Amino acid sequence: MADVVFKNVHKKFGDFIAVEGLDLSIEEGEFVSLLGPSGCGKTTTLRMLAGLEFPSSGEISIGDRVVNDLPPGKRDIAMVFQSYALYPHMSVEKNIAYPLKKRGVPRSEQGPMIARVAEMLQLTPLLSRKPRQLSGGQQQRVALGRALVRDPKVFLLDEPLSNLDAKLRGIMRAELVELHQRLGRTMVYVTHDQLEAMTMSDRIAVMYDKKLQQFAPPQEVYREPANRFVAGFIGMPSMNLIDGDLSQEGDRWMFRSGSISVPVGPLVADARGGEACLGVRPENLLLGEGPTPAVVQLVERTGHENIVVVEIEGGLRMTGRVPASTDWKTGETIQMSIQSEAAHVFAAGPTGRRLNIASVAVRP
Amino acid sequence: MIKNKQTKLERHYATLGMMLIAPTVLVFCAVIVYPLVSAIYLSLFDIYTPTLQGEWVGLDNYRELLGKGEFWASLRTNLIWTVGTLSLQILFGIGMALVLHQNIWFRSLARSLILFPYFISTVVAVLVWRWLFNDLYGILNHLMMAAGLIDMPVDYLGSMPNAMISVILVGAWKYFPFVVIAVLARLQTIPDSLYEAARIDGAGPVARFFDITLPQLRDVLVVIIMLRAIWDFKEFDLIFLLTGGGPVTSTQTLPLLVYKEAFSLNNMGMAAAYAVAMMAVMLVFMILYIRKTGEKDA
Repeated sequence: MADVVFKNVHKKFGDFIAVEGLDLSIEEGEFVSLLGPSGCGKTTTLRMLAGLEFPSSGEISIGDRVVNDLPPGKRDIAMVFQSYALYPHMSVEKNIAYPLKKRGVPRSEQGPMIARVAEMLQLTPLLSRKPRQLSGGQQQRVALGRALVRDPKVFLLDEPLSNLDAKLRGIMRAELVELHQRLGRTMVYVTHDQLEAMTMSDRIAVMYDKKLQQFAPPQEVYREPANRFVAGFIGMPSMNLIDGDLSQEGDRWMFRSGSISVPVGPLVADARGGEACLGVRPENLLLGEGPTPAVVQLVERTGHENIVVVEIEGGLRMTGRVPASTDWKTGETIQMSIQSEAAHVFAAGPTGRRLNIASVAVRP
Repeated sequence: MIKNKQTKLERHYATLGMMLIAPTVLVFCAVIVYPLVSAIYLSLFDIYTPTLQGEWVGLDNYRELLGKGEFWASLRTNLIWTVGTLSLQILFGIGMALVLHQNIWFRSLARSLILFPYFISTVVAVLVWRWLFNDLYGILNHLMMAAGLIDMPVDYLGSMPNAMISVILVGAWKYFPFVVIAVLARLQTIPDSLYEAARIDGAGPVARFFDITLPQLRDVLVVIIMLRAIWDFKEFDLIFLLTGGGPVTSTQTLPLLVYKEAFSLNNMGMAAAYAVAMMAVMLVFMILYIRKTGEKDA
């Protein structure tokens, strides 16, 4: 059963459109990430779900209740804020107890509930401290504790890891996943960090320009991006996107751009020739072999592999991944080719849809 | 081994620091220490104000002061005035700041207008209020009679407890904008996310005020109360101009008593003793207050 449903939801702030025609259906117990660049509407979407903003039109429901007109406190949700929003004058214990107190949970029942959450999050020794006496990671845990203590139906997390350092972020990521598995509750997670979205989510809702671009499991978003934006946004280093022309030659489709000419397809039935975009993941750019000469511009050594930026005739730059053992120098000319069966084709425009039917997109 | 000896550079910086701080210390001595010491010195003499001639009396002035009913009566009046006007200033100030913090269409205009009583000179403000309060021609009596609230004009400044209430109200009106500005400035720095978190946690508007706003205002309120208490305690012109301390001595606070001793009774030494006693009373209150607020912070 769907737990959280957005039906044709629009949100305007005066003349400014923040979210446009959002349809989203999140299953019970699912971990869903709202992923997108700044200003894409992901935070507004979460805030509408929290009841901190109200949709201009459309319907939002949690469980089987339409919550459009319900205040945040009545929605049976809990939220973890980017800034943690811990009450600075209250101790850790009082922070965690606050939602219980406001809901009239008897004091005698509060104690065991707080103790359970504190133990789960290893906060027990910190209960008497004030938030300012805690490290970022500890504050993050308290914010989680305040959300967990009430056992709400849906958890909302607004970029909760963005204020932590890289190492702690990795640890907290794993803890959140574990927590989700243990609680089995629906979690909606807003992030602009694709690594977080890819590693934690059951499904990712990629948003751009106020609209939902794709809603699918992480692997599907990576392998079968719905459009050019999703293709470029997901993946590190990002997909090489090459503008060019698509034309039908006999029973096959050809993509051409400068010195590049690759067969593509199969394409959707209504595909038309003309302006298009070829998408090639760095792992599908074969460097060191093939007919096209390319000049090495930059080699980034990450340790287990090298990221190589090459430039071909016509000034087109592309990024590829090679084993760490390759030892190319900047300025060196190498050969390259595109693994055409793994390439995507997109219609023209920043959110041009994917035209190829299925893609293997994996390097053997 | 760590050497304790100062290097040449450290000595140079130490000298420079002394030189930079010296002007402030000199000004401080001239405007704070000297008047304070001379007030205490004066209080040990019996001085005739017009000639400033006097003789050493030691602590006699203080002995006389403590035995006098007038000192204790004025201290009591002073405390009633300070507590009364300060409470109203804080109450109105916070209330108005909360209103002006909302998104209301005349907010910018209202924020400027609210400062008006604070900017206006005390003499002008008191003249206006004296006319409003006037028992024969005052608009206040006129309106209240027209509304049927009273049958006879009320004597606002010439009888008790009306005079004290009037003085307290005018004081509150004159100085509450200070509280508004300080509280408003603090309100604007409270993160919205705290209120949003509280809403999600199920707190209504009243709970949000008491659980978020008020605790967040605590630090600024401590400072406001301390400053305003000091200023109100030694308020002179407003009360002097409004009632002159009357009827009889019903609104005669300590500063008015100091003035009376110094310039009406020509007893400069006694006046200085009152002033020093006033300072001592304030000092005791301030120490207690700072201790009390400091304790909660720990």
